[in-house]
Amino acid sequence: MKREAGDIVMGGLMVPMGLLGLLVASRAVDSEMYLFGLSLAAFAALFGFGLIKRHFDLADTQAIHTKDDPHV
Amino acid sequence: MSDTTAMASGHVLQRARAPVEYNDEVVKKFMIASMFWAIVAFSVGVYLALELTWPAFNLGYAFTNFGRLRPVHTSAAIFAFGGSMLFGTGIFVVQRTCRARLYGGRALADFIFWGYQFFIVMAALSYVMGYSQGREYAEPEWHLDLWLTLVWVLFLVVYLGTLLRREEPHIYVANWFYLSFIITVAMLHIGNNLAVPVSYWGAKSYSAFSGVQDAMIQWWYGHNAVGFFLTAGFLGMMYYFIPKAADRPIYSYRLSIVHFWSLIFLYIWAGPHHLHYTALPDWTQTLGMAFSIMLWMPSWGGMINGLMTLSGAWDKLRTNPGLRFSVTAVGFYGMATFEGPVMSIRSVNSLSHYTDWGIGHVHSGALGWVAFISFGAMYYLIPVLWKRQAMYSTKLIAWHYWIATLGIVFYITSMWVAGIMQGLMWRAYDSFGFLQYSFIEAVVAVHPYYVIRMTGGLCFLAGAFMMAFNMIMTIRGPKAQRIALPHGALLAGE
Repeated sequence: MKREAGDIVMGGLMVPMGLLGLLVASRAVDSEMYLFGLSLAAFAALFGFGLIKRHFDLADTQAIHTKDDPHV
Repeated sequence: MSDTTAMASGHVLQRARAPVEYNDEVVKKFMIASMFWAIVAFSVGVYLALELTWPAFNLGYAFTNFGRLRPVHTSAAIFAFGGSMLFGTGIFVVQRTCRARLYGGRALADFIFWGYQFFIVMAALSYVMGYSQGREYAEPEWHLDLWLTLVWVLFLVVYLGTLLRREEPHIYVANWFYLSFIITVAMLHIGNNLAVPVSYWGAKSYSAFSGVQDAMIQWWYGHNAVGFFLTAGFLGMMYYFIPKAADRPIYSYRLSIVHFWSLIFLYIWAGPHHLHYTALPDWTQTLGMAFSIMLWMPSWGGMINGLMTLSGAWDKLRTNPGLRFSVTAVGFYGMATFEGPVMSIRSVNSLSHYTDWGIGHVHSGALGWVAFISFGAMYYLIPVLWKRQAMYSTKLIAWHYWIATLGIVFYITSMWVAGIMQGLMWRAYDSFGFLQYSFIEAVVAVHPYYVIRMTGGLCFLAGAFMMAFNMIMTIRGPKAQRIALPHGALLAGE
């Protein structure tokens, strides 16, 4: 499994998406839009954390495989 | 070809085709989500049936009111359960038939999964909060529509990208159906949801169309949601998973191509049959009716193709209840697509429209076709994805099959009787020209059939719980040491 450029692109996109969510929540004129804005911000943050977690999980897995394999 | 030559060519084939690292993680997520949403959709459906039978179950709260829960049920069934199945199987099928890893990487695939789930949850919350565009099957307000458009277009990019990087020269017919589903639903969704928001910071919006044009756009969308979301997409599933489960090629590949082109050409015109006896011009209504009747040909061609794929393998239905689901689904596809054109005929529609006959028809398609073809695909996919020898319990699959079938029979027969009775009661008048029955008398008359409908729904829900238990136990069970794959699957690198 390789590290992919898509991780960085998607992770980068989560920043404006989260900020947009906070902006929407702050200016919302009804409860539905307020909930949507906060949820969008939470979605972006959680998705970003998910990408970070997967990155380090992958690094750990590769480190273990490298240690186990005497040819590497 | 001698045995030695065959073996040699086999070795060459296997050597030339190095295994492709497929993205199955996202498919697994879609399968789990689909199972979860199936239970949600069926539970809410049973609760709504309870409300219709005994209105006291509305409980007096706004958020438990039938009007707010009904779109939760339809969206959970169509978009959450059905949509997750289509996304998951589509991603599985395109990778296998193209021998190519999913385009766009894992992060993009994960975004499509979580973005779609986010849309479903937000849409359901907005319904119970009382926000809706008031458009059937397109209830979410403008900001949620924009979000879905983003997710959908990214799915199209991923699907097309995978097709373009394929190692197989031919594009297998299942991909044609999946692709038509993705492209057409995008077009329908954007067209039908063109709206002007009251404020950029508020949920409320108004449609860009008005009057009968608005109604026409809505049913152009509505009927093609049936045609391209609930039919074309699931036909893609049929064309991949029935041959796989039966270990037989499609009965006629040529017929599948004729099925595809005739279906997509005819379906797009059928929407106006939802607007008989309205302000829509007569010729438009007639056009919708005529194209609906012409749809018999491709629908039955497809059904015959699906059923005849079992030629020489019918015995497998005794031992493989998962395949039984798929084949019964094709039978229901044939039945529902026969009934639909009949109901689109103007004089029949004058009896059936606004009655529970329509509800029965929709559920013979939704439960019998959509849910059954999904269950069949899921019973095939779960052991393959989690690398298990087989499902945890074959007996439980058989129980699921029979209880769900019984549920559908209860559901659709009760709705046929209730619907035709309602239609006849509404139009009956006495010798003086007065209506013979008041509306409430028709409501009272259908009460026993509503109880039967609810019982049918409970049976179907019970079956879904059995499936979920079977799925959990299969996933938690031991990993198969070595899965015996059919020769075709082995060559396909599975």
